[in-house]
Amino acid sequence: MPTILELASLPALATGFGLLGSGGGGATTMLELALRRSPDWPMTVHDVDELDPSTPCLGAAFVGSTMLLTERLPGSAPFAPLIAAAERWLGHHVPVVCSLEGGGLNGLAPFTLAGDRKIVDADLTGRAVPGLDQMSLLVDGVPGIVVTCDTGAGGVALVQTDRALDIERVVRASTIQAGGAGGLVFAGFTVGDLREHAIVGNAARALSIGTAYLEARSGPLEGLAAALGGRLLAEGRITAIDPDAVDQHVTAFGITGSAGEVHRLVARSENLALMTDGRLEAAAPDLIVVLDAISRDILEVTDLSRARHVAVIKLDGPAWWSRSPHRTRYVTPSAYGLDGLDGAA
Amino acid sequence: MTDSLRMSALLAHPQNGGVRAIAGPEDAEWTGVVVETNEDALPADGGGRLAILTELPPTRPWQQDALVRRTRDRGFRALAIPHGDNFGTGTRALADRLGLTLLHADRPMLLAKACWQLVEAQDALTLGYVRKVAQSIEYHANDLTDLLRHLSSSVGHGVALIDAEGVLLEVGGQLAPEVHAAIDFAPWVDLTRMPAGTAASVRVDSPSREGLRLAFFGAGLDERQVSALAVAAEVAMPAVAARILIDEVAEVSDASVSSGVLRDFVDLRGTPDPEVERRMLERGWRTTGYHLAFRVVGRSRVDALQLLRFVMGELGRIPVDSHATTTGRGLSGWLTFSEPPAASQVEHYVAALRDLHVAARRSFNVATGVGSLASGSAGLTTSLSEAADAARIAVNRSNTGWFVRVDGLGLEQLLLAWTGNDTFVPAARSLLAPLQSGGGELLTTLSAYLDHESAVAPTATALGLHRNTVATRIQRAQELLGVDMSDPEVRLALHLACRAVR
Repeated sequence: MPTILELASLPALATGFGLLGSGGGGATTMLELALRRSPDWPMTVHDVDELDPSTPCLGAAFVGSTMLLTERLPGSAPFAPLIAAAERWLGHHVPVVCSLEGGGLNGLAPFTLAGDRKIVDADLTGRAVPGLDQMSLLVDGVPGIVVTCDTGAGGVALVQTDRALDIERVVRASTIQAGGAGGLVFAGFTVGDLREHAIVGNAARALSIGTAYLEARSGPLEGLAAALGGRLLAEGRITAIDPDAVDQHVTAFGITGSAGEVHRLVARSENLALMTDGRLEAAAPDLIVVLDAISRDILEVTDLSRARHVAVIKLDGPAWWSRSPHRTRYVTPSAYGLDGLDGAA
Repeated sequence: MTDSLRMSALLAHPQNGGVRAIAGPEDAEWTGVVVETNEDALPADGGGRLAILTELPPTRPWQQDALVRRTRDRGFRALAIPHGDNFGTGTRALADRLGLTLLHADRPMLLAKACWQLVEAQDALTLGYVRKVAQSIEYHANDLTDLLRHLSSSVGHGVALIDAEGVLLEVGGQLAPEVHAAIDFAPWVDLTRMPAGTAASVRVDSPSREGLRLAFFGAGLDERQVSALAVAAEVAMPAVAARILIDEVAEVSDASVSSGVLRDFVDLRGTPDPEVERRMLERGWRTTGYHLAFRVVGRSRVDALQLLRFVMGELGRIPVDSHATTTGRGLSGWLTFSEPPAASQVEHYVAALRDLHVAARRSFNVATGVGSLASGSAGLTTSLSEAADAARIAVNRSNTGWFVRVDGLGLEQLLLAWTGNDTFVPAARSLLAPLQSGGGELLTTLSAYLDHESAVAPTATALGLHRNTVATRIQRAQELLGVDMSDPEVRLALHLACRAVR
């Protein structure tokens, strides 16, 4: 049965995607403000099973620097030229839209298309990830995927290839050409493909944990973690920020717990692992959410600064990634070149 | 390896591969050692041992945390690794938290060898020390201190020459007073282990000095190390005893040579002589500049060499170029300034020489004379002879503490000092011998008469006699001596003679 979303549930939905971002994926604020003025409320979200499996589907998202999007605001219809190019290439209209990235601001991206298309509750990651080759459709090697993206000044690039890494590289180059951030559309698959090759029900999860978070926000941290269905792993002060010598994008945050525990939060553009007293407690694809322990704000990696008092909560990652060793290989810390952090219990 | 191993003993081992404690308990005792290339090769049952890894540890903080954690979880109590000092504060805090001693080792294989010596191979440890002692004897040493320095740097521990009073010489560290107090001076070999430090000492058989001991010392040495060091001390002892003798012989011969040079110089009385100048320069004695000479003589029999040794040591405290050598019954020395010192500075140095004199009197019955400041070669001769004169006076001057400075003397005192020598006094005695008859009243009257400008009335007043008595006595003295007292030369000679025999 389709879910009807009222405008009033938008904050909970946005908060939920913020939590699923695992410290990355970008702040949802801008899209939340834009969606608040949308004429399409209430919006309908369909389960994948409710739609005809043969219905063509597309996914839309922003790529590049999420921080840049807060300064250079996307236009009123950021995906329109990209969808037009994809539909023209495919030769037919695509009536259904899903999410590409189920964490951070991109969780809200399909809702901007609610006027023209049906929204299906599915996405290709279930959390924030940095690489396009980590999209579930590409991981499983679904054929016929077409990708369009901005190249700047209204230009559009279209990539069709069987090599996932090429998509990552070409889109990345185009996005840099477009000024560091831009739109991205995946097409050439059907709703039926999503059933097996995507993470389904993530919007419902975002809504549910977002609601739970807003209710339990001011309570004790343990209670908040339990309300989210997660576990409080650490609470303490950030006492060290060690940039990695091998990969400049990697940072290890030292958090000293209230009882003297030595926590290490390892992050790239998302939080990837947490180690306590030399023992691995959580690692991607687990979701590792860092909150300000006092204000309870959901913190992105870039918000973490020395002496900040933080709490770390582990939420279960999408089960889809753990269903085969092949999939797991794309999201564990070793996929990011980090040794010794795989295999958290 | 089953024997226990103390962390302090390992840190005190001179060739421990540069091991340093990074984190964890201050001191610890381990049940043994395991050496492996990397963590994976470590046995699952650590059993309270020390793990030494030879491969470089991971560089990422979480990997270092995990290494510390897993090593502790395997039951090890300590972990030694190369580049351990790169471990950050978080990992160190974790090691503290887990009670795992974290050690940095520059060279883990050397550390492993040190552990092996301490735990299993005490003979190898002893032999290693003995070999190092032998090596250090092989090298030339300038003196005893130099020899001890060789021993200390070679063996890797402090070396001290001690007697019951205290430390005479120490190199490579400081022997704690508590440890010194605990050393038993009776037995041939003594092993002392205290919280403040440890020492292994052996009696030094020296014919010239009794009650000396040679001690190797260090902090935190365990029983095996101390007994190994005791053997090393036994081996080193004969070399040290021989060196003490050699140094004494060298000192005696050096003192006699320098004494000869000074005698030759003084005999020249300021006449330049290139040969003597050269010999003085060889000893580092410059005649140019400004000199303040002093002489220290024994009031009774004094070992001049012992005195010289003491004075040389004390002179080291005076921050100016100084020299001294034995001459006669005492020693002569001088301070040399390249620039003329101000009057206040001269006073300061004279005060320093007085302090030296006071210090010397605690051990020697001596008198000291100080000359005046004079420049150049002739000046040095002058100052030296002034100092000799002053010393001669000082011998009888208890009221100035047997210390006399020439600048503080009247001219007559000097004159008298000259008349006090061995040729004048007998001559004066024989000259005045005729006056000794009759209780010496003629001599007393003649002295008083000459002291009062050859005037009868003041002499009579001074002696409480009638002036006629004085006039008669003077007349008789003149007759007995057969001299003409109207001659000023005669009066001077008589006056000096009276003073000399008084």
